[in-house]
Amino acid sequence: MSGSMTSGPEGQTIPRWRALPRSLALLLCCALLAACGPNEVAVKGQFPTPLMNKLPLNIGVWYDEGFRTHEFFDEAKGRAESGWIVKTGEAQTQMWDTVLPGMFTSVVHMKGKPEPGQMNQAVDAVLIPHVDELQYAIPTHTNVKVYEIWMRYRFELVGPGGKPLAEWTMTAYGKTPTAFLQSDEAAVNLAAVVALRDAGANFATNFTRVPQVQDWLAQRQAPPAGVAGTQPAPAAEGSL
Amino acid sequence: MLAKTLRASLLILALPLTGCVTATVDEMVFNEPVHGIGDASVVILGRRHASDYETEPDFIECVGDHIAARDKAITVVGELDFINALYPWFEPRTAPLYPEDLEKLMQQAPVAQRLAELRTHYMIWIDGSTVRTDSAGSMTCGIGPGGAGCFGFGTWGNDSNYEATIWDFTNRAEVGRINATASGQSYMPAVVVPIPIIAPVQGTACDSVGDQLLKFLSSEH
Repeated sequence: MSGSMTSGPEGQTIPRWRALPRSLALLLCCALLAACGPNEVAVKGQFPTPLMNKLPLNIGVWYDEGFRTHEFFDEAKGRAESGWIVKTGEAQTQMWDTVLPGMFTSVVHMKGKPEPGQMNQAVDAVLIPHVDELQYAIPTHTNVKVYEIWMRYRFELVGPGGKPLAEWTMTAYGKTPTAFLQSDEAAVNLAAVVALRDAGANFATNFTRVPQVQDWLAQRQAPPAGVAGTQPAPAAEGSL
Repeated sequence: MLAKTLRASLLILALPLTGCVTATVDEMVFNEPVHGIGDASVVILGRRHASDYETEPDFIECVGDHIAARDKAITVVGELDFINALYPWFEPRTAPLYPEDLEKLMQQAPVAQRLAELRTHYMIWIDGSTVRTDSAGSMTCGIGPGGAGCFGFGTWGNDSNYEATIWDFTNRAEVGRINATASGQSYMPAVVVPIPIIAPVQGTACDSVGDQLLKFLSSEH
């Protein structure tokens, strides 16, 4: 048998044709071990800028650590199922960084979480988004040929010093049908991108309908009590 | 002799084998078009607000390609391009369900301006899906030192049901509605090599919807 030699333990040489089955077996073991791990999806997608009249507000945004690195882990419930890790943090910040500048005159990232004593940029208010819950469904769970992602957000709108102005929740949903030659991971990614788009659409179209936000906007436009002749703040030129 | 048989077998495999499809098209016209859309454009969008199915993006693309291929004068705006250009107003949550909703949408200056730029004359909403109805049979495949092969027989049926609603964007009114259904049975016999005999159900539904839509949009049909 011709062929090159490879070095074995204790300096002895092993013919390559004998080493090959060992390498293949090792590769197979690695592949089998990898198959035992959870399915992992780091959500990636493109998000468009909203087409709307901008609200004349200088809004700050603060993404906390949990939001920036948000991931969802679902442990396998049986031998027949596999666990899932869905990492949405990067896509979340990408989406909100695209949607918010399309909604407000100015958007700035805060240096720190707004609270008393924290030095920050001067803004009208700071938006702090949180992902409170994420659920997913794949065809093996439901017998319906769609992949689904559902999220519940919680938003805090606070003053630059951390004074609470409004707090509300919002849901987002995305689904995608099964497709030929589409992996579970690709389908879950697509469903997550649809859910993120839905979150942006829901937020953009309903922000000014949140009662506490409406009150805050009304207060900004009203003249301060007891000050005669004060000019009101310019009315919002944008309407949603 | 063996070579001839082999050649004949290869020829059979190379032939596009298709199953039979039955298609029905119903049409309701509220406002008969008098001429084509000229230099305006048309957009075809899929409805995606149902919980248990969604209109396949590739079906929407198929109908658009069908129209664009048969009348080069018609500009069909891509579905994703249109939805992205008008985000967030045509997402499943926010998309207008009735022609009257367009009026409210047009009150937003940036939206009205973008739609004017796109010169959209007709907006066509397609709602429906293709589903597998039944399947039967079994097939076994094996691999060994001497080669690989399959043996068995499988069959399955597909049903397509799509409804296209045509909105005249200029008049903000529904001008017609087309319903296309198609069904077919596919077969896959396998003696060493599986021979798929696929019924092009979704493709037939796409052609049916596309042909009817051309009557609205094209001056040549």
